[in-house]
Amino acid sequence: MDFYLGLAQVIGIHTLLGLSAWCVLHTGQVSIAQGAFFAIGAYTAGMLTSMWAMPLAVALAFGAVMAGLVAVAMGFPALRVKGLMLVVATTAFAEIVRLFFFNLKWRVQTPTGEVGPDGSLGFGGIRHFPANGWSTLDVNLLIWALVAAVMALLWWLDRSRVGTLWRAVGEDELAAQSAGINLTATKVSAFGIGGCIAGLAGGLFAHYATHIEHHNFTILLATFAIAYPILGGLASLAGTLLAVIFIQGFLLEGLRFIGEWRSLLFGVLIVVVMLVRPNGFLSRALFRSRHA
Amino acid sequence: MDLLDLIDLTQSVVDGVLFGATYALIGIGFTLIFGVMHKINLSYAAASIGATYLSLIVVTAVPTPLVYAFAALMGGVLGWLVYLICFRFVPLNNPLATLMSTVGMLLAIEELISHLTYGMPQNYPALFGNTNFEIGPFFLRGDLIFVFALGCVAMIGLTVLLKRTRLGLATRAVAQQPVAAQLCGMSVNTTNASTFVIAGLLGGTAGAMAGAAIGVLSPLMTLPLTVKGLVVTVIGGLGSIPGAIIAGLVVGGAENLFQFLRGVSERDIYVMLLLFAFLVFRPGGLFAAPGGRD
Repeated sequence: MDFYLGLAQVIGIHTLLGLSAWCVLHTGQVSIAQGAFFAIGAYTAGMLTSMWAMPLAVALAFGAVMAGLVAVAMGFPALRVKGLMLVVATTAFAEIVRLFFFNLKWRVQTPTGEVGPDGSLGFGGIRHFPANGWSTLDVNLLIWALVAAVMALLWWLDRSRVGTLWRAVGEDELAAQSAGINLTATKVSAFGIGGCIAGLAGGLFAHYATHIEHHNFTILLATFAIAYPILGGLASLAGTLLAVIFIQGFLLEGLRFIGEWRSLLFGVLIVVVMLVRPNGFLSRALFRSRHA
Repeated sequence: MDLLDLIDLTQSVVDGVLFGATYALIGIGFTLIFGVMHKINLSYAAASIGATYLSLIVVTAVPTPLVYAFAALMGGVLGWLVYLICFRFVPLNNPLATLMSTVGMLLAIEELISHLTYGMPQNYPALFGNTNFEIGPFFLRGDLIFVFALGCVAMIGLTVLLKRTRLGLATRAVAQQPVAAQLCGMSVNTTNASTFVIAGLLGGTAGAMAGAAIGVLSPLMTLPLTVKGLVVTVIGGLGSIPGAIIAGLVVGGAENLFQFLRGVSERDIYVMLLLFAFLVFRPGGLFAAPGGRD
């Protein structure tokens, strides 16, 4: 049972990560920086609870806001370029952030010993959950409550004016601009909200894992983040959740019996889905004839 | 900074520029494919390293220069396979589709390499590894000079191919205007495929050069090489071959400069900041291709 509860935590955190990429993808942009915002949230929240004994809610909120602010600050210069150039720009940003945490060394004395990020050795001792007697089930409830809240927020945003703007820019930038939509504001808002969600996911991850290091936040993580909504289909939020459950639950855990070869399947799966259903698995065309 | 430091500094920058020929070739590969298809093939550097791994099959049977040639050949074959799997049957009007399919390919190739070699780095043969030249206070490694020369030969070969042959003419025509090229009787699909093969030949050569200069092959090389190749492509200007060459050498030199000044764990931060500066102040790169591209 513990195994499934642990798996549910991973699925919840990755769903948040996928939803953060969903926001940015909705405006037609591909960002490899989601892993970096995740890292910022993870380090910020982890440092606040372990080094200065802040309450968890404050730490998570601060991590999310911090990641969102960095996303907005980074969004202004980066969104001068679009399409493929943005992929390269965000890749570079992701590497900068990862290398920053690789070099970050900030240790403080606490009643339970010295804690803090220790350069390449990583950042251990984020023991807020065990120290305060949270069971795995409690952690799960917290994660899934946050997933539900974020999903409800995005569902509402998607139906509000903001969602309309995001989709208009994503469908056709030129047309959106002609209709008087402020492209920069629209894209930066999607970037900022996506950054906040990724930061929240990162904060949860840091406390779930108790030990984080720069290796957790490579471009591979960002690839997962954008793969979930793209494979699931951008038309619905459920697509992202479905893709996370499929990849984390079935592909990486369910197929454990075929051994290490299953990590190969992730790459193959992306290629196959792009060949068979290039608009994602839950794209609208699933219920319509192909030639309609 | 005294004279001795200055000599060390110059020495490491020169080594970096020589190794930068590898980045230049990878950058050219990205740029060539972008030129004809307006798509980025993210699996390119991984396929190049994969081709270099495949050349290890013949390493005991033939002399070293033929091993490099075999790597280039395998690069061409893999390039064609990547085209067939990730581009040929994927809808090209959806920009996300080929991006994701090539990312998937990148991950698949990387995993395949680590599994087949059990994650162990493999030795790769070098030429002129023991020959060194001393020019005044400077010391030039023979294998790096060879790598640089090989890179130059590949670049000259590519230029001749693009400017002097019918295939090159077709490639340039499709890059300029695919519809017009098709109306003139060129097959866009065949030209695209042959561009992938040409880029693959360059990639295999670049992989062999990187292997020869570093001495070992490891699946950990694929991601850094992909990122550096993209950096080179963007700094040089998407679609510009001279830009990719110059940017490759600049990035190679800058990398060693920052390594000398700030240490190995921080050097890539500054290389990425260099890229960011270019994106903000000169988004078209050194030699932006004519016509408003994104």
